Amino acid sequence: MTAKSGDPVSLPAEASTPSKSTQRVPAPESPQAIQTRFRVIAAFWAVIIFLGFPIWWQTTSIYRAHLPIQEMVDWADGKLPESQHLLRTTQHTLDDLNEFAAHHLRLKLTNDTNGSPPRTGNDGVDTSDSTPEHAADIALTVHVRPEEGLVAPRSELQPHTTQLDIFYPPSQIPSPSTSNPPLSIFIAQELQRLYGEEKATIAHILSGEIAGLDSASPELTESISRRLRRSMKYAETYHLSFSLFTPGSAPSSWDIEAAIQEYLAPLLDAFAPISNFTIDTQVQLYATFSPMNPDPIYDEAEAAWTLKKEDLSAFINAAEWPLNPSIGSGPTLNFILYVPDPSQSPMIVKENRASSWIVPQWGGVFLLNPPLAKGQTSNPAYLEQDSLQSAFKTFSHQLLTLLGTPSTPSSLPLRLQTLIRVRAASLLLSASSTMGSLARLTESLPSIPIPANVASSVSTTLSHLSATCSHLREGRFNAALATARVAENEAERSFFEKTMVGQVYFPDEHKVAVYLPLLGPIGVPLVVGLIKEVKRLVAAWKARRV
Amino acid sequence: MTTFGFLSLLLALAVTLWSSYASASSDYHEQLFLQPLPQSSLLASFNFRSNTSQQAFDNQHFRYFPRALGQILQHAHTKELHLRFTTGRWDAESWGPRPWGGSKEGGTGVELWAWIDAPDDDEAFGKWIALTQSLSGLFCASLNFVDSTRTTRPVVSFEPTGDHQDVDGLHLLHGTLPGEVVCTENLTPFLKLLPCKGKAGISTLFDGHKLFDAAWQSMSVDMRPICTSDGDCVVQIEQTIDMVLDVERSKRPRSNPIPRPLSNELLACDTSKPYNSEDTCFPLEKGADAAWSISEVFGRTLTGVCPLTGSDGTQEHSVCLRVPHEKQVFITEGSTEIKKEDGFTRCFDPAPVQPFDLSIPEQTVDIPVPREEPILYAERTIVGHGQERGGMRIIFGNPSNTTAVDFILFESLPWFLRPYIHTLQATITGRDGIPTEIAASDLVTSTFYRPAIDRERGTQLEIALSVPAASTVTLTYDFEKAILRYTEYPPDANRGFNVAPAVIRILNVENSAPVYIRSTSLLLPLPTPDFSMPYNVIILTSTVIALAFGTVFNILVRRVVSVDEAAALGAQSLKGRLLGKLVAIRDRFRSKETKVE
Repeated sequence: MTAKSGDPVSLPAEASTPSKSTQRVPAPESPQAIQTRFRVIAAFWAVIIFLGFPIWWQTTSIYRAHLPIQEMVDWADGKLPESQHLLRTTQHTLDDLNEFAAHHLRLKLTNDTNGSPPRTGNDGVDTSDSTPEHAADIALTVHVRPEEGLVAPRSELQPHTTQLDIFYPPSQIPSPSTSNPPLSIFIAQELQRLYGEEKATIAHILSGEIAGLDSASPELTESISRRLRRSMKYAETYHLSFSLFTPGSAPSSWDIEAAIQEYLAPLLDAFAPISNFTIDTQVQLYATFSPMNPDPIYDEAEAAWTLKKEDLSAFINAAEWPLNPSIGSGPTLNFILYVPDPSQSPMIVKENRASSWIVPQWGGVFLLNPPLAKGQTSNPAYLEQDSLQSAFKTFSHQLLTLLGTPSTPSSLPLRLQTLIRVRAASLLLSASSTMGSLARLTESLPSIPIPANVASSVSTTLSHLSATCSHLREGRFNAALATARVAENEAERSFFEKTMVGQVYFPDEHKVAVYLPLLGPIGVPLVVGLIKEVKRLVAAWKARRV
Repeated sequence: MTTFGFLSLLLALAVTLWSSYASASSDYHEQLFLQPLPQSSLLASFNFRSNTSQQAFDNQHFRYFPRALGQILQHAHTKELHLRFTTGRWDAESWGPRPWGGSKEGGTGVELWAWIDAPDDDEAFGKWIALTQSLSGLFCASLNFVDSTRTTRPVVSFEPTGDHQDVDGLHLLHGTLPGEVVCTENLTPFLKLLPCKGKAGISTLFDGHKLFDAAWQSMSVDMRPICTSDGDCVVQIEQTIDMVLDVERSKRPRSNPIPRPLSNELLACDTSKPYNSEDTCFPLEKGADAAWSISEVFGRTLTGVCPLTGSDGTQEHSVCLRVPHEKQVFITEGSTEIKKEDGFTRCFDPAPVQPFDLSIPEQTVDIPVPREEPILYAERTIVGHGQERGGMRIIFGNPSNTTAVDFILFESLPWFLRPYIHTLQATITGRDGIPTEIAASDLVTSTFYRPAIDRERGTQLEIALSVPAASTVTLTYDFEKAILRYTEYPPDANRGFNVAPAVIRILNVENSAPVYIRSTSLLLPLPTPDFSMPYNVIILTSTVIALAFGTVFNILVRRVVSVDEAAALGAQSLKGRLLGKLVAIRDRFRSKETKVE
């Protein structure tokens, strides 16, 4: 209207004549009208703030169950009393290099009637009188026997039982008065020697990166870390898969059932308290090397076909050999018996003339070169049990290594007991670190939902972690392993919960773009109205102050 | 009846072989059967069969039986398994009856049925899902999409072919994926299951390019237990690949796969016809069968024999060819040829390690291999128009002039296709070509019908029918198309939705081996929305609401004044002042112009 009033051409004369002074200014608004307008705008904004925003908030928020973040982080950092205890004892080793205090040997006199052999329980630092009653928790039985004609005491470890025989000259019977009799010192030294590797292993696991923590010799540390690198992660069930591979058509069968019964079953029985095993076998003919793998080279000096050590990693043709993992929970350990073609037999590893090697965390390979009959140019069609003997002995050694069994002491039951303790410790550590990762994950990603079952898994894990610690302290190692397993399983389940990651990605920009036609036209008048009212209120307030 | 008779003879032979070898702990057989078909096609049937003792299977000592498949079957408690991968269409009119009586082929795509040992239906379904998921990984197929809507429990269409101790505890589940494209990635795992792995024997002929270039091909895996009367059981796995190759097409070299037109001089023209110019030609039909050889058709030669065959002392011919004895067939030196008494079959024993080739020159033979009619022709199509309703029409033709055919029609329809069974109608057409409508109940002897539940299961329909001699029966029923939810449409919704082929089991066959026919799969067009619709709706509704809101809000908040009062108010506002300035600038400009004038 203002524009038109200034146009002298298009408008009639009487319309153009009124000047600014003659324009009628409307009467000022009544306070009541101003009040009404204020109320209207306030009502709109009240609906938006008190109804709109809560509904929006409610419908778009993600369910996040409460997690004991601090406790989880504490477990991972080793700050809780139980794990602090481990840290403190580790610290002890730094202060006192003579002995690793997390690992004490506790002697206990048994009530056996047939003599007085002291038994040792292998225990934590706690020196309370808690007595592990169960026979399975007794780590080692020491038989102390007098023997005539000995100058110094000598010890003998039974290879198939947990018994250490110590023979001593009768003259060395300690009298109650002497504080450090030579026999006691000898027994103590023997025990320290027996458990030396286990101590070093546990120290290695607990210390993680801090290599300087180890009181053991560098060679021992190196062998332990190598073993830990090679060994599988602990699982309740391992699937053992034995495969006969050959590039030709023979041998096409083997006496596998008898070989497993004869050479492997006793070992697996011994492992029964730690893990279960399933066994499957297969025969695969026409198994060629992958084209990437360099062919074996004939070595005149050795009169054999040789594989280079650095090429062994490509020996297994993963693309073509059917080595898929077995169905069911638990990892699969693959043992491959490779019978080379007669034209490439015998086949050995160039550097050390070995015929077998371990693939870390996967399995083992054995090259079987069957003796060729005179004038025969093909492998035998059937492998007898005897010809499988060396292969299966190698496989059982590889199995022990892959399961992380320590190399000393010589008694297998003792080594398995060591394995239980080492496994419990590593599970404890792994579950704790998973808890820490989960805590960090939920904190760094505020948009992922946390379902209730994750919260319950976390609480189960935490309770089982502390149970494991107390079991360890009280020397109940089998129970500790069981609770550590539960803790590990629950920790993994909570970390790999599907609904946490399976979120639909709807960026906020997308939503805004879709709803802009609604939000724009509604938002602009509302905001402008609000600004005007606020201005008016401010002006009125200033006027009243003046 | 000769072709069929021969096939049934093959089957019977196979049955006797199984029973005679059942006592052996472990054995392996393979055979390739070649038969030229009319229209210069060639049927190649590969069969691989191995037995493993039940005890070795249970203890997971796998020798011939593939370990990966064995573990899956044990994990899912599957006692008998049948898996089929099929592409293309078997042209029954020109090629005659199907190989293996149709028992080794599946519907287009993937078809799977299995007998699962479980205490109740729910557990059986759980194991079925575990089975399909694992097989999906093993065969690189989308079998994991076999969910409850694609799973049926046929009642009369399938019967276990193995010997099971406890048949009552077994649950039969059947699933199809008609949309699955079978290709090389399914062949590679299939070959890995064979003991000789495509390195020796007839499996060396498999080449994905040729196999999936075939007019029709079907791969099958069957596993079943076979027991002798004295309780010795073996687990048998049988793998077959059947394909019909177009000889002309397969002979084209891979470097030059596009057919080029022949030059005029090379064309064989019918000179008895009148021609109006030099460059026209009536092609002369060839009297002789085209020449072919294994190396031309398959692109490679056969390498020796798999040394595992005949390990139990029996000699089995690994390659058999069905052409008249008069025909000349050249084979590689070192291999032997045995002619069978029937006058049309000859078998070959290739030399152990050397490559083996077989070639037939172009020649005319007076007595061709007699071709026999199949027992039944079947054809299924979707009829009708519109987005809402449609109809299914199934045509059964009985070529026999003397005997009626009894069979079972098994349909598993997706839930979004809702059939009206009450509209089931039958029309019978005799040789005179006059259609007569009859009540469907005159032909249908029994019906098993399990209606669909939306989004939970599909329709299962099993109808036992009888088609009289020398007549054609057309069966029709109407259906309604469901409207899906927005998220249920696949990305290619306008292509249509696959409907699984119908399975027809023929009942009155002389021998015990079952005869099956499968129709082609169908494409069902469903009403598809415009997929940008939700956004349009949101935007349009938002605009309308915003308009209404703006009007109401303005009425409530704005002050009502008269026009001249508004001019005064407007001059005070920011807009008014700006406009006033603009007017002032324009006035000054105008007055300058007038001065110049």
